[in-house]
Amino acid sequence: MNHLTEEQLIEHYYGESAKSMRIEHHLRECNRCAETYATLRSDLDAIAPIMAPARDAGHGEQVWRSIRNFVPVYEQKQQGLWQRFGSLRGLNVATACVFLIAVAFFAGRQWDIYQRPPQIQTAANNGTRQPIVLVVLGDHLGRSERFLVALRHGDPGESTALVKAEAQDLLSANRLYRESAIKSGDRAFAAALDRLERVLVEIANEPDDASAARLAELQKELNTDGLLFEVRVLRSHVQDEQEEQQPAAVRTLGVLI
Amino acid sequence: MEENEHSIIRAVLSGDKEAYGTLVLRYSHAIFRVAFRITGDEADAEDVVQEAFLLGYRKLESFESRAKFSTWIYRIAVNCALNLKNKRKPDAAYQIVDDAEATQHQLQVADTAASPERLLLSREIEALQVRAMQELTAIERTAFVLRHMEARTTAEIAATLQIAPNAAKQAVFRAVQKLRRSLAPLRVNA
Repeated sequence: MNHLTEEQLIEHYYGESAKSMRIEHHLRECNRCAETYATLRSDLDAIAPIMAPARDAGHGEQVWRSIRNFVPVYEQKQQGLWQRFGSLRGLNVATACVFLIAVAFFAGRQWDIYQRPPQIQTAANNGTRQPIVLVVLGDHLGRSERFLVALRHGDPGESTALVKAEAQDLLSANRLYRESAIKSGDRAFAAALDRLERVLVEIANEPDDASAARLAELQKELNTDGLLFEVRVLRSHVQDEQEEQQPAAVRTLGVLI
Repeated sequence: MEENEHSIIRAVLSGDKEAYGTLVLRYSHAIFRVAFRITGDEADAEDVVQEAFLLGYRKLESFESRAKFSTWIYRIAVNCALNLKNKRKPDAAYQIVDDAEATQHQLQVADTAASPERLLLSREIEALQVRAMQELTAIERTAFVLRHMEARTTAEIAATLQIAPNAAKQAVFRAVQKLRRSLAPLRVNA
């Protein structure tokens, strides 16, 4: 048997060699290969697994809370087309006719909406943020605004742990909105959410026993006043968008992935 | 457990959205761990966790009842992490550990005698390992993490990354070769 290659030795180290017995035998016989293998083993043994930062027991709950508003309920996909068609047989002819007229009317309305010229786009609505739920986004910005206001006024009676918990909660949702904004190409919106995220990250990572004075100091350092203004402007844009899209028959309930 | 998972999935597909939360709770830690190992960044790993579970929910109808949900969601997460890693510049995600404060991204090294010299050496080793991992391509790093740290077989790595088994094997080999070259100075110090 020739000397073993590095590939064979690596395969052997991970226990995936098809000729394991022969390789073992060769390593007992050949000093050169045994030495090479010993060095390889020592190198690989020295690479310890990367330890992920600890997550508390509530991590799963937090993840679920952050995504549950973005997932639709699987209810209309229960019946196949043929099943649905089959269920029509249970209706009498008159009901079926009324149903068909209603479908035709609805299709006509949709066609009319589809034929309308596109609306003029504004800075806040580049037509690319459609997949973001406007209602939920408005709520998020509203919550963020209240959070920044509370931080600004620094109520000494309020526990730092509560402020931190709120920041952590907002952070998860904010990440999703930011990712969605990036994917839909709305850079300005993504940048604003990114700035908000930095503030949330800082506060979320403060120790539990951080003093109110520390939060006030942080607030100054991070210029949360400027951010508060920005969040207010964004929220008003989102409200405008909501009002503009009010007549739309369907509102998307999901984010882009 | 598997039977239980399949009944949870059936419930979700029948309209019980909240049932999916049980699966998120069950696997969020494992998904975060592998996401962190691939991305090397805590915030990115959190993004991957969210994205993986969102995608998992959206694709739940395509989940085959013969499969295990844990394996399925794990594969989705690995691919999300790999995609994210591919988008990032090579030097953006992993910080070089030069100071004692940057503890989050350090690799853990067994250290029985905590003398100052020993601590210093450990820190040097950690920094070198972090840098060595950083030099790998996204696919090499992912394949190596799955093989070396997650104890996945070549066949599993290939299935997860949707590549041929030989390509998966080669990615691990290349990663090992590069790491050994980068970590060669340790042989003298250790």
